Amino acid sequence: MNEFGNTALLLAFAVSLYGFVAPLVGVRTGREELIRSGENAVTVNFLLLTLATAALLYALLTRDFRNAYVASYTSRDLSFWYTVSALWAGQAGSLLFWAWILSAFATISVWINREGLPDLIPYAMSVMMATSSFFLFLLSSVSSPFELLPFRPADGQGLNPLLQNPGMFFHPPTLYLGYVGFTVPYAFAMAALFTGHLDERWIRATRRWTLFAWFFLTLGILFGMQWAYVELGWGGYWAWDPVENASLMPWLTGTAFLHSVMIQEKRGMLKVWNMVLIILTFALSIFGTFLTRSGVLSSVHSFALSSLGPMFFAFLAVTLLVSFWLLTVRLDSLKSPHELDSLISRESSFLFNNLILVGAAFSVFLGTIFPLVSEAVRGVKISVGPPYFNQVNVPIGLALLLLMGLCPLLAWRKASLENLAKNFLGPAIFAIAGGVILALLGLRQPVALLAFTLGLFVTATILQEFHRGAKVRARQGKESYPLALVRLILRNRRRYGGYVVHLGVVLLFIGMAGSAFSVEKEAVLKPGQAVQIKQYTLRYEGLSQYPTRSALVNAARLMVYNSGEPVGILVPQKNIHRGHEGQPMTEVAIRSTWKEDLYVILAGFSEDGTASFKVIINPLMMWMWIGGVLLAIGTIIAFWPDRREQRRPGARYVVG
Amino acid sequence: MLAVTFLVAVGVAHALTVREVATEFICQCGCGLTLANCAHGECGPRDQMTTAIASMIASGKSKPEIIAAFVAQYGEQVLAAPTKRGFNLVAWVTPFASIAIGAALLGLLAWSWAAHRNPLKPAEERAIPTLSPQERERLEEELRRLQD
Repeated sequence: MNEFGNTALLLAFAVSLYGFVAPLVGVRTGREELIRSGENAVTVNFLLLTLATAALLYALLTRDFRNAYVASYTSRDLSFWYTVSALWAGQAGSLLFWAWILSAFATISVWINREGLPDLIPYAMSVMMATSSFFLFLLSSVSSPFELLPFRPADGQGLNPLLQNPGMFFHPPTLYLGYVGFTVPYAFAMAALFTGHLDERWIRATRRWTLFAWFFLTLGILFGMQWAYVELGWGGYWAWDPVENASLMPWLTGTAFLHSVMIQEKRGMLKVWNMVLIILTFALSIFGTFLTRSGVLSSVHSFALSSLGPMFFAFLAVTLLVSFWLLTVRLDSLKSPHELDSLISRESSFLFNNLILVGAAFSVFLGTIFPLVSEAVRGVKISVGPPYFNQVNVPIGLALLLLMGLCPLLAWRKASLENLAKNFLGPAIFAIAGGVILALLGLRQPVALLAFTLGLFVTATILQEFHRGAKVRARQGKESYPLALVRLILRNRRRYGGYVVHLGVVLLFIGMAGSAFSVEKEAVLKPGQAVQIKQYTLRYEGLSQYPTRSALVNAARLMVYNSGEPVGILVPQKNIHRGHEGQPMTEVAIRSTWKEDLYVILAGFSEDGTASFKVIINPLMMWMWIGGVLLAIGTIIAFWPDRREQRRPGARYVVG
Repeated sequence: MLAVTFLVAVGVAHALTVREVATEFICQCGCGLTLANCAHGECGPRDQMTTAIASMIASGKSKPEIIAAFVAQYGEQVLAAPTKRGFNLVAWVTPFASIAIGAALLGLLAWSWAAHRNPLKPAEERAIPTLSPQERERLEEELRRLQD
């Protein structure tokens, strides 16, 4: 099976190279059959990579320990689903998974658009196959998932216990779907630049891909946060680790792109800017992989230095050089026929929104690479950790929150005073009143107070929009208000789906602001003793030890009282996994309510049953996850095909 | 007397804790987290550093003194954030400066574009001066649909 997988990979490499070259030659020589043959190559590449992926999955599930990858990431006692997740747990497997997703996306996007965009398709598939060729080159030369060991070990080394968490099952695939998804709009943007056909067709053809990629990148980041929260055991969800930052940067530029293409579709403006954004988003996706795989920066994801780093760097450099060279060549043709009418308009507010998003991406980029810059310039090694990122990004995030309230409700072209008063007076009064009440209730942390006030403002603007739309519908269509509200959303999916996404983002901000009020306490307890933190009392009842299939579990039992009332039992654990004895794993226990999370870590224990605990109260955490769910629902609403949309040639684009 | 009581209260309120100081440092075990958040089950560097902080606090050292002692021992990389002086200012200032310059340029550009166009009256004023509230609502609904 390994030979089969290897052969499939080598053939896929050859076919992707063909798929890269043939369409270009076909266009240059006018030979249509070469372009058609290139389209077939894209499909064959997908089929070959499906076979290679299936071969690796088969090797993993059958515990073929002769395969070095299988021996490194699985063991006999690993459960079925974690064995499946081993497909993306290691470098070679994740590169194969990446290439497979890309081949699937390339195939779908080519076959969907081959009739509608015959001029762009040859170049778009050439760009996607060039990217595929790069990944297949890595898989065929330096990082093969089918490398064989000289002997067959009795058992494998097993999956890193940190990765044995449901969050990790979903986090990497969703992240990859996001990263790879941005290849499609990038490829069509490059095709538009190559051909000089710079109208809005490439944006219309790829807008769902953009939303799809953004959706999965968002989900991937949220799954990663959830995994960090429940698995890393430090009480937080975002550590500003270089690899986390690597996923945030394309998300920020991708979000900017998602918004700015609306302006191009609506007013034919920002053509150059949109090109810049999609190039940056694609490049940052590759940069993320470079950071993850090169080991140039120390990371909680702790990947070793690998030979892939320079190759990724070279690919990134070529991508940027070619993309910006093409952009420079086409600069004159990209000049917009329209200009801004007023500083106070939706167009200009979107420009400021873009500025803030790109500024945030830049600050994350600068902070991430600054240790390297410092070492290069001063010869001094420094660290750039959470205090830096929080200080720099919190004000930027708050500015973004404010703009999220303003942008969707400003009038196109030029907002009148009447428009401003009608849309913002009520929400502004509501938010200020809410802020004052919160301050009177004792909320004195200025940043959190500002975040809550802005959150109220954005929520009020959005709810006002829902209410106004539903009220008009109900009156005109003689419908009940709830029915009118549902129909309003279903008939204007992009707009109201976008609003739901914004509500989700507000809740994310609320959850983050709650972190400012985290309280923690450490305690060393003997059985029967208790620790008090705010209104909670946790009485330690004892420690139990028992073996499972893959680990020795040490579980502490804590009876939890809220203001004297028993509310449940928490069982934080410290587990010693077989094969990873030097790395005891913390399994935190969490009691979540809408108000706060009670988060308990078993920090250590001794033979006499004495145990040390770290207890943290994280306010408003649940709202962050609810925000994530809303965000997903909103994106699905916006993404859902609307038959009437096809009848609207000038239909405006998504998240409003 | 009141002032003394106040000062004592302030002093008590700001008694230095190990956690407060530990958030200033990166754990030297390579986890990339701050010393206060290193979640390794067993971590020699973390235990060594937190013990040192506790003993320095006990001996009456202030936060800046502890920070200076750690920088002398481990180098600048022990700090969780770059210092706000010298070349490190690039990291602190550039993001805000870029956004401020970008905003100024955008503002100027938008203003100059708007100034060179024929002055427009706000759209609503021009379009619907005499509409009844019902007609106006209906128009808004139509516009809403159009925008999507």
